[in-house]
Amino acid sequence: MRGQEQFEFRASFSDLAEGLDVLHESVERLRHATGRNEDDHALMLFETALGEIGSNVLTHGRPGHSDVPIEYALRLEGTTVVASLTDGGPPVRGHLSREMPDRESESGRGLAIARTLLDDFGYERDGGVNRWLLVKKL
Amino acid sequence: MALEVETRPATNGVTVLAPSGRLDVGGVPALRDAVGELTHNGPAKVVIDMEGVTFVDSTGLGSVIAALKQIRAAQGELRLAAPNPQVRVVLELTTLDRVFPYYATVEEALTGF
Repeated sequence: MRGQEQFEFRASFSDLAEGLDVLHESVERLRHATGRNEDDHALMLFETALGEIGSNVLTHGRPGHSDVPIEYALRLEGTTVVASLTDGGPPVRGHLSREMPDRESESGRGLAIARTLLDDFGYERDGGVNRWLLVKKL
Repeated sequence: MALEVETRPATNGVTVLAPSGRLDVGGVPALRDAVGELTHNGPAKVVIDMEGVTFVDSTGLGSVIAALKQIRAAQGELRLAAPNPQVRVVLELTTLDRVFPYYATVEEALTGF
């Protein structure tokens, strides 16, 4: 029964390419573990949001490309998927509420895409780290 | 997972670029290099065959916009073909489907190009 599905995945990484691979691999594992298809729409939207936030965190959350690892967790709570990412980058301020830029712009869409696709999107500065929370009902 | 880009000639002087893999921050350089090589040789009519692109993010999409600008600046033209459902969602969400009217297949994109 879908309401009783359980899934938990944890990883830490400090390399851009490795980190992106791990994020997509974790969603693939969740897809497989819960018997969902490649074309499961809600999970595809979640993966799109995760790719955006993950890319931001891996690009901006490693000052000087430091080896301080990014902590990542993915879990299923009932039929809701919850991801958290923690990075040691500088505090994130104005970008969080940024609207979708105009069509000719080559950047600046990531957070706007993630906000639109998720049911809940959280960010907090906790001591010296950024904590990101991504929630979507499947 | 590195993005690979195959370049192949089609009819009427059109070139098809066929990336395969994830078009994200890791895949952008390969597409940029392939487009740069085409526009270096003058005006280019280009179809990007998206069938092999498994996932696109906003950085990858930005590289397609950059390709469009670069190809137009060289008096060329760009069409997108065969995006998968994830790519279509991102194109529609960002309203970039109005910048890149996409075609269901490469054959359709080549028609009348």
